[in-house]
Amino acid sequence: MKVNIKNCAVILAGTMSLITSVATAGFTSSGCVYTVTSSAAGGSLSNITTDLSPTAWMNSGGWQTAGSTASVTWVNNIGGWNSVTAAGFMNANIVVRNNTTLTQDFVFTAAMNGTATGSFLISGSLGGEFVNGSGSLGQLTSTGPLWSALFDGVAVRTELNNALLFAPPLQVLSVGNFNFSNIPVSGSIGQQAAIRFSLRLTAGGEVSFTSAFSFQVVPAPAALAVFAVAGLFGSRRRR
Amino acid sequence: MKNLTTTAFVSLSLACVVVDATAGVVAPNFGFILQSGGTAVSGSAGDFGSTTNTGPTEWFFHGSCSAMTGTTMSWAYLVDPDPFITGSLSIQNETGIAKSYIIDFVLSISPPMVATLISGQVSGSLTDGNGSGAALLTSTAGGAVYTALADGLFAQALMVNASQSVSTQFGTTSFSGGSFGQPVAIAGPAMNNTIGIRYAFTLSAGDSVSFSSIFVANVPAPGVVALGCIAGLFAHGGRRRRR
Repeated sequence: MKVNIKNCAVILAGTMSLITSVATAGFTSSGCVYTVTSSAAGGSLSNITTDLSPTAWMNSGGWQTAGSTASVTWVNNIGGWNSVTAAGFMNANIVVRNNTTLTQDFVFTAAMNGTATGSFLISGSLGGEFVNGSGSLGQLTSTGPLWSALFDGVAVRTELNNALLFAPPLQVLSVGNFNFSNIPVSGSIGQQAAIRFSLRLTAGGEVSFTSAFSFQVVPAPAALAVFAVAGLFGSRRRR
Repeated sequence: MKNLTTTAFVSLSLACVVVDATAGVVAPNFGFILQSGGTAVSGSAGDFGSTTNTGPTEWFFHGSCSAMTGTTMSWAYLVDPDPFITGSLSIQNETGIAKSYIIDFVLSISPPMVATLISGQVSGSLTDGNGSGAALLTSTAGGAVYTALADGLFAQALMVNASQSVSTQFGTTSFSGGSFGQPVAIAGPAMNNTIGIRYAFTLSAGDSVSFSSIFVANVPAPGVVALGCIAGLFAHGGRRRRR
């Protein structure tokens, strides 16, 4: 069998590219970072991390102002490279509560540190409920997108961009659910991938969400070319 | 008779004031019991987080518990021993198998109530937390996911024989579990010591669910009851005098 030098070069380049893709796809989380800001006041934050596996961590924690006039509680899983799902992912269950007598803004970010390069396919979702624990009409609004998936602080996907929900006194209102799958995103993650919630709650309001965000590195075009060329070789050999 | 009645009225009114004042100072007992697979974890909600007095008779509990291996639970509840329970619970099954849970949140109440008007509601969301492409929440053995409890016994149930599922990777579904006593509260049982909310469900491996719920028992205020009693005494006395 004759081996065309030109084809060899393509194979080599493609293989190198594939190796590069796979090597940098390993989103190795070196930890997680939680931030909460609120118009209510500054608060104290605590988080407990448990190792689930060498590449996965479970976190539970909370943030509250003095006297718990406002609070955020979360349970959050972070997965580095997962050989089963071939993706890095995080999920977040959060509860935000406004115990003050005024409307307050909250921004909560759960981020996992790490790097990844290449093109990505991102998937994710959120669903939630708004509880009005007050004796008057309660309101939940988004301040910007209510939910954002971020690469290095830049939104790659947003949901509930103009949320405005009203709940009668002492009633629960479903926020609804929002899903997206395999959305292509180019670029890289230089520092962290994150989920951010940004919302405004009237006095006595509480909102809870379950949410997930994953990103999957897709092989570079050169790597795909390798597969194609390999297929051609295989085809010729069979003939 | 009139002096005796007046004295009784003043005494009862004072007693009512004392009860209200005490309720505002001392946090009520608000505890949880988490059961799964033959094991149980229980405690005071305040011992696993924080307790804050947010109103004359209202208390806010928020915290989390991961004492049961493979399960993490967090909550944020506003309670009033007068009484009501409102807030959110989220739970994550970290294990590789589906798990059945029974979770009770129980609140001590004061004073006891002979007659009640009750209302309640539950909604939630379920997320495929591990990217397996599926998540499933079912009520256990055809029971109710949400049960309102009065003294540990059934008061009302929601999400009977329920099933919620997610069929997309990392997907989420929201569900409304329904309500009772809204907008008009319905008659409930007598409540002497506690009210509570029980969640009973089976959750698929690696997935998470949150419930936002409310259970309210409306009763005549203690002062009104006292006035009612006294009014009854007056009426009874008047009838006797007319005879």
